[in-house]
Amino acid sequence: MTSRELSRSLWKAVDALGSRSRPQCERTVWRAQQSFQPRISRCISTTAARYAEATEQETWEPFAAAPPIEFDSSGDGGKKDSKNMMRTLRVVPASPSYFSAKPTFTDDFLSLSALLRTVATLPVIPPAEAPKVAWKTIDQYRIMTNEPVKTARYHKMLHILRRLNCIHPSLVPDEVVQAMLRYKKPNQPGDIKPTPGVIDELGRSKGVGRRKTSSAVAWLVEGEGEVLVNGKSLSQFFGRLHHRESAVWALKATHRLDKYNLFALVQGGGLTGQAEAMTLAVAKSLLVHEPALKPALRRAGCVTRDPRKVERKKAGHVKARKMPTWVKR
Amino acid sequence: MPPSPCLRSFSRLSLDASTHNFLAPRLLHPRVACFSTSTARPAAAPKKKGSTAAPKKGVKSLNTKKGKKSPGGDAGKRPAQGDRKALRKRIVLSNDNALEVSSLTDLDKANVLSDANEGKVMGLPAEKVVDALRAVDAFKTTQGWSLFRRPAVLMRKEAMQLASLFREVEDSATGPQKRTIRRILSGERMSGKSTLLLQGMSMAFLRDWFVISLPEAQDIVNAHTDYAPLPNSQPMQYTQDTYTANLLQQMLKSNVTFFESAKLTTTPDLPLPLPAKARLADLVALGMANPEASWPVFVALWNELSQPGRPPILLAVDGLSHIMRHSAYMSAEVKPIHAHDLTLIRHFVDHLSGQKKLPNGGLVLGATSQSNAPTSPALDFCIEVAQARQKTSDNVPQWNPYKNVDVRVMDALKDLNSDSKDFDVIKVGGLSKEEARSIMEYYAESGMLRHQVNEGFVSEKWSLAGMGNIGELEKVSVRLRL
Repeated sequence: MTSRELSRSLWKAVDALGSRSRPQCERTVWRAQQSFQPRISRCISTTAARYAEATEQETWEPFAAAPPIEFDSSGDGGKKDSKNMMRTLRVVPASPSYFSAKPTFTDDFLSLSALLRTVATLPVIPPAEAPKVAWKTIDQYRIMTNEPVKTARYHKMLHILRRLNCIHPSLVPDEVVQAMLRYKKPNQPGDIKPTPGVIDELGRSKGVGRRKTSSAVAWLVEGEGEVLVNGKSLSQFFGRLHHRESAVWALKATHRLDKYNLFALVQGGGLTGQAEAMTLAVAKSLLVHEPALKPALRRAGCVTRDPRKVERKKAGHVKARKMPTWVKR
Repeated sequence: MPPSPCLRSFSRLSLDASTHNFLAPRLLHPRVACFSTSTARPAAAPKKKGSTAAPKKGVKSLNTKKGKKSPGGDAGKRPAQGDRKALRKRIVLSNDNALEVSSLTDLDKANVLSDANEGKVMGLPAEKVVDALRAVDAFKTTQGWSLFRRPAVLMRKEAMQLASLFREVEDSATGPQKRTIRRILSGERMSGKSTLLLQGMSMAFLRDWFVISLPEAQDIVNAHTDYAPLPNSQPMQYTQDTYTANLLQQMLKSNVTFFESAKLTTTPDLPLPLPAKARLADLVALGMANPEASWPVFVALWNELSQPGRPPILLAVDGLSHIMRHSAYMSAEVKPIHAHDLTLIRHFVDHLSGQKKLPNGGLVLGATSQSNAPTSPALDFCIEVAQARQKTSDNVPQWNPYKNVDVRVMDALKDLNSDSKDFDVIKVGGLSKEEARSIMEYYAESGMLRHQVNEGFVSEKWSLAGMGNIGELEKVSVRLRL
């Protein structure tokens, strides 16, 4: 806190010097921290923007609810007294945002902003390196809070959450972790970890790939570039050169074609599907041998399973989407 | 004999109008064939175009063709009769745009059988071998001869195997026991079986052997040429006179050096008289000129070749599975004729099966085909057995007893299932990487492959070509250049 105050006062001093054309780039550091506060910049104004001094507003402090009303304490005063008391009673809600349209959301937003303010000085990592988190979608959040939250507002909140997620993982306070938990989906992307492949005693690694309706199993052993698909040579099995290339694309793209021997069993679908199922299978079995090739293989487009399948035919349609031609009568 | 003026006037007598108006100049008369009694009719005047009335306005016509000027088909010029087939069957052996390969050495009589040129690309000498190979139709349209400046072949491992067989036969020629070696070439599609057969033929031409080649077995059995029963044959055999005459012509054209010097030593029994002091070439020419005598001429030629002192013989056939089944010919009882009942094929099969020996030694080569092959289960089984025996002799496949077996084919090929060294299968497989590199360097030097030939490139193409299948290798590196 003190350092922040110091830097701010320094900046104030600089501002006071009247340097109109302030170097914007230098300010980005703490302006990013400030950007979560509601700030109105009017373009019409010609005065240099000044930042509010009192950032720690008292309104953000934890709100104490009114003590419960003791109806019985003045019960002996009789009916009239209680009636008077009921007239003068003012029920103070637990949350200061009770009278707003979306009290839970407002509370969430305010508490997250407050939390961010407390942890804003912690070192951060670039967003690309931050742990991958699947946040709740707006619909899930609406169901959770039962409030008609607007998308833009929710995105503002997600912005804060992502900033919190960028705190250096070794320094994340426990309260931040607990707070973020409320907005995470129950299942996170890295939760299910596939069992790593193994090279068996014969030096083979196995990979399975699918595409369209074809599926392929590929085994890779170290060798000098021999390929057998269903017991046939590559040229016998795939007549088109394009299919041959896509079948061994994972090896070709990484210049490993002459380093391994490949055996594959392919079934189902057509030749294109079989060749591209082999791409995936070969890439997976290559990753068992050399896991470091994963980025290269991803760039070559060998890692992702193509989930597209033939769309089913619908009733009343000629094909999946095609409608019968219009006839006048 | 009538007097000539009468004849002349008779010839002028044509029964059209021109005889009546003598005054018209003669050149204007329509030329009419003399002696024709029909009146000359001028050709019908060409119809005026667009004479048909335009369709009424507002009336829909049924003609759905739009923007076509001549509705009666396209006006493009059709190729003349036979042009299309000539274009299809044309053999192009040189490409002027390809570069001359400076390092290419030619095969010659001395080095053709030597082990030193293993894995090298060697040129075929133009006047001696290429013309002869052309004469026997050894070049096929599907092969890539038209891509390079001049024909050249890779001396691969299987070719060296063939060369060693040639050496064995030639070594035995001096001894009393002349050897006849028989081989079946089998392998994947585009693996170079026909080219290996061509290499064998070029070796034979260079070593002055006598070559009899049946360039395409399908042409013999598909009933496109005439056939006739051979008299006094039991069981009935059939000769193919036109085909045999054509074969004699091919033999005469290809074995030029042999026919130049060869003399007739026996007196053949022919239906036609042979001129006195005839040479062997005259005998063959007689068979060519008279197709009905072509089979006796072939037999007489074979007898001549069987005499001691004649060169060894190479018998070659391509498309073996066509002759290992029933032919498309019908007998008089409307039963299919087995291919082995055709005299030419019987002659070949007798030597392939070992029933007859080549008297002066020689080689019998049969190449199978994978792209143009009718089913011949017996042949496939025999080849499978032979290949299994090459690996281990104890795990030989058995014939499925529930399948119909072609007994004649099984009998002809039963030697494949024995220990004899004379009859075997040469498996034409993929190239090794060194061979692939050598031929790809040849492609690059010819300017047909514009890429640096390094190890990575060679092994990549080797893998994509199905472990060095040479036809696929050519397709991958030369034909499908991107």
